[in-house]
Amino acid sequence: MTQNANRNGEIKDTIKRFVTRSINIPDLGDDDDLFESGLVNSLFAVQLMTFLEKTFAIEVEADDLDIRNFRSLEAATNFVAKKNAAKAA
Amino acid sequence: MRRWLTEAQQARYAEFKRFVAENVEPFAEDWERSQQLPSELISRMSAAGFLGCSLSREYGGQGWDAVTFGLLNEAFGRASSSLTSVLTVQAMVAMALAKWGTREQKAQWLPRLAGGEVIASFALTEPGAGSALQSLTTTYAQGPRADSFLLNGSKQWITCAQVAGIFLVFGKLEQQPVACLVPRDSPGFTIEPIRELMGFRAAGLATLSFRDVEVPRTNMVGRPGFGFSHVAPVGLQFGRISTACSALGLLRGCFEESVAYAAERKIGASTVGELGMVRSLIAGMGTELQAATLLCLNACKSEDEHAAEAFENALAAKYFTSRAAVKAASDAVQIRGASGCHESSPTSRYYRCAKIMEIIEGTTQIHEQLLGKMFVGQIGVQRASGEQT
Repeated sequence: MTQNANRNGEIKDTIKRFVTRSINIPDLGDDDDLFESGLVNSLFAVQLMTFLEKTFAIEVEADDLDIRNFRSLEAATNFVAKKNAAKAA
Repeated sequence: MRRWLTEAQQARYAEFKRFVAENVEPFAEDWERSQQLPSELISRMSAAGFLGCSLSREYGGQGWDAVTFGLLNEAFGRASSSLTSVLTVQAMVAMALAKWGTREQKAQWLPRLAGGEVIASFALTEPGAGSALQSLTTTYAQGPRADSFLLNGSKQWITCAQVAGIFLVFGKLEQQPVACLVPRDSPGFTIEPIRELMGFRAAGLATLSFRDVEVPRTNMVGRPGFGFSHVAPVGLQFGRISTACSALGLLRGCFEESVAYAAERKIGASTVGELGMVRSLIAGMGTELQAATLLCLNACKSEDEHAAEAFENALAAKYFTSRAAVKAASDAVQIRGASGCHESSPTSRYYRCAKIMEIIEGTTQIHEQLLGKMFVGQIGVQRASGEQT
């Protein structure tokens, strides 16, 4: 359990570094809606997807196209963890 | 450029240039005049593996990397912007489908796209909406059958639509952006050729009208709500790389034609190339050619690395190279003088086609808006965190 929590923390930090390098959101919270901030450009969604795919060696597939998977740091972290778990199973 | 390429990439580039010299260069002006491309040539390109070349071998593609795809477009762009547009739209649809299509859609269409059996077209722009995707008015609604949509609306300036067999058509389903595959022979779907363009005259542009066109739900690519944010950008990414590299080829054409002319054309006892003013134009052209080459390579390599910055690198390459091509084409005509204005010189065609490079796959102004927002946002982050640029 602790190991998973640590791993999820690392995933979230990695995603946060990418997001805050791309868009200027001071004090980004884990559950803040990235797409309602008004700061992201029209390519951010696909850039985030590409970042997740490359960094965590996962593939975002058509069935994964659900805004709930990408809306916030927390959501993206859970999505990556879910894909990793499916890969390991 | 050779120092940046692998041996395999260099060999393919040489192969592309040979194909173009033999099959494209001598005929490009005739195609512009007749406003159509010979279908036999498209077949020859297919046989050579050029169409759908970025698709994996699993689907009958070549599995070539983006750098090789860029070199292909550069080589073709040197001779014919119209013909290169076939490579552009085929890749846009094929790669969007390869990423987001269902297993059945991929099995049905990708081998046919890779083999050139079917030409594809990317139907996004509308009479009332270009870059502002949210303003699209084409709609998908519940069809007469539970498993179908009814498609209504129109599209304009759609490249290769005159010859395409399958269209990736973007619209809205209950206000949610979607994209569906629509076969050419669908009842209610009409195609009106657009002729007399200033350039790209053989690129087969058309206006599309959809009147109660029934589309099976299984033709939807991706999921509702993601047509603009995920499906279109994958296609547009290859469209921008293709257009940037095609413009790079045109830019190289301007440079090579200008240098050759400047060395040969005499004014009194001197050549044109000995004139300081002409040297100045050629210096600018040659330097921009080098800069554009590196930007295009950077865009292609970052796409190969599947890097998140690949999207902004493609934007930067397309933005810079299309503008440089316009300037180079203008200067190439200027250097040749009156003969540069005549169809016997490729520079007049370069001049007409270059301007269109600044408009297709997103205008220069849209690129400025996107790149400006990205750069300003990044600088803001760097300043906030004390990083150096």
